[in-house]
Amino acid sequence: MNTVEEEKSNPLSRFMSDGANATSAWDAEKTHVGEVVESSTTELVAEAPQLHGAPSFGQFVRVDSDMPIIGIVFNVFTHSIEANRRPTAYGKTEDELRLEQPQIFELLRTEFQALVIGYIDTTGPAQVLPPQPARIHSFVHLCSEEEVRAFTQTDDYLRSILNTSKIPTDELLIAALRQTMRAHDGAHAYFVRMGKELSRLLGDDYDRLSSIIRRAAY
Amino acid sequence: MPAPQKKRHSIARGRSRAKRNKGTKNSTMLDLYAVKTQIDAMVADERQSQVDYREKLEIALREYRRWAPEWQRLADKIARSRTSWLMPGLVEALDRPVALPARPPEISIAATDGSQIFPDRHEISSCFLINIGYILLHYGTGEKPLMSSKPTLYYREEEIFEEWGGRRIFVNRELVGAKRGLMEFTELADLALAAQEAGHRVLAFSDGTLIQWSLEGKPQDFKQYFLKASMAAFDKLAAASIPIIGYISQPGSQEIVNALKLGLCPQQVADCDRCPWRKENQLGLDAAEKEILGGQLWRGRVPCSPVEGINDAVLLHSILEPGQRTPVYRSSSKILEEYGPHWVHFFYVHVGQEIGRVEIPQWVAEDEEMLELVHACICDQAEKGQGYPVALSEAHERAVVRGADRESFYRFLRDTFVKNDIRANVSTKSFKKRHAGI
Repeated sequence: MNTVEEEKSNPLSRFMSDGANATSAWDAEKTHVGEVVESSTTELVAEAPQLHGAPSFGQFVRVDSDMPIIGIVFNVFTHSIEANRRPTAYGKTEDELRLEQPQIFELLRTEFQALVIGYIDTTGPAQVLPPQPARIHSFVHLCSEEEVRAFTQTDDYLRSILNTSKIPTDELLIAALRQTMRAHDGAHAYFVRMGKELSRLLGDDYDRLSSIIRRAAY
Repeated sequence: MPAPQKKRHSIARGRSRAKRNKGTKNSTMLDLYAVKTQIDAMVADERQSQVDYREKLEIALREYRRWAPEWQRLADKIARSRTSWLMPGLVEALDRPVALPARPPEISIAATDGSQIFPDRHEISSCFLINIGYILLHYGTGEKPLMSSKPTLYYREEEIFEEWGGRRIFVNRELVGAKRGLMEFTELADLALAAQEAGHRVLAFSDGTLIQWSLEGKPQDFKQYFLKASMAAFDKLAAASIPIIGYISQPGSQEIVNALKLGLCPQQVADCDRCPWRKENQLGLDAAEKEILGGQLWRGRVPCSPVEGINDAVLLHSILEPGQRTPVYRSSSKILEEYGPHWVHFFYVHVGQEIGRVEIPQWVAEDEEMLELVHACICDQAEKGQGYPVALSEAHERAVVRGADRESFYRFLRDTFVKNDIRANVSTKSFKKRHAGI
């Protein structure tokens, strides 16, 4: 909605791309940390609304939908938006670049990948893959501590992570465990329960288990 | 090592012959082998002309230095002579390099560029599209830049048929090009004015020349329409004191060299149409007169030919230091007679990687402060863009419509026509191009 008033307030609005106009219009009320740009049953890619504005590795995210989908961020990357142009070194700090090469920040984009670990339906959290993948352009939000707590009452998310190939599994387990412990107020009993489950999942790989637990407990 | 090298060479030769045979048998495309002998001949000529070129450059430099202190005499000769070449108006000096001034810490640069999909009679519709890229970069404030593009589709009867000089014509490449060129100016003016209104100190950068010489020789109404519209844009910028700059990378212009050519002419007042050193103008002269004239020739050619083929950028590369600019010269293009207060002036500047040509209207040329600002900003822009003004290259990136975009555009157009049950016909020529059968 490009009202006459808005045109008046910014003489440059005629030259802005439609997307830029829309963004500036509701900048204040936006709470999402990403928008889905690629989606499958098991994972999704979302674009952060701001450069370097993606959620952190291991954070739990929720995708808007009738049945909100829950994922864990396992990869964050920033790249050029144009395939044939790649960043080059300028030998300047980021602050200097923002003052003297402002265009480069318009040509970069931060995206993140999240592993889908379940969804929420009318009965509550379900630690299984959703029947339908997240829709393209749905918004991605950070899960509140309450949501994380509800979703990680059981240990199934550990199994979801361990069963995935191609991602740094152990690192993701550690990051996810730290998140969940914070959500469970650092409860010792919870940590012990998760440790027991991990030991079961990892079989007799004691070295791996101790490495994960040592680093997660740090 | 020599032995294996030799062997490798012979193997390579054998392979290329095999390839060549295969090529002639199967391919009906460009026969590279046939072109090769011609390339060899071209290279041989090129090598000789490079030797000549260096000598010519030295002569040009010598002449440039000779005229520098008495440039007014050269300016006077330019004013009185009749030549067939474009001459620079020497208004301040011939040679007085100006050092690079400092750029104000806070400044904004506006730039536009345009691109198009030309109308194609063989396509489903004769519409055409103009895409304008807008760039507004703010320096020293950290403010978010504006980088966008806006496409406009022209498809109505009155848009694809135009009447000029009493003739109704189907819009062609030339018309679309003229329309796009005009939009680059008018949109640039609007963008720069809007930026000023939003509180920025701004300069307007245009890609290429400000001199619309292609309008010369066009029907009067056509010429007037385009001139009037572009001059209106210049008027607005002048009223707002926003300098407009046309930047030409790798300029091929030869105005300064032309002035030196005139300087080489032994005549006090030259008239090229009656050049006495040309055979066709020597009828009725006696042998003694012809001999005197013959003695003034340069290698059997007219006396002004030693610097023929050198352009201003090559000459000035040996004169300007990085960051320096030449004094301002006045262009003598005929079309400028219609420019009123915006008569285009120009200077050359060493932007680091190359000599660029910067064109400005008269009111910028005569305002010392604006001129300094232009000089500082053009060098700064080129430095930021590794040799070419960054605002212009970004504007180009926004505007450009590549081959793949064009394909997608027509595919989308065809799909939409079909979905809406509109008869969609593509000419057999176009069809054949896409699906060449055997």
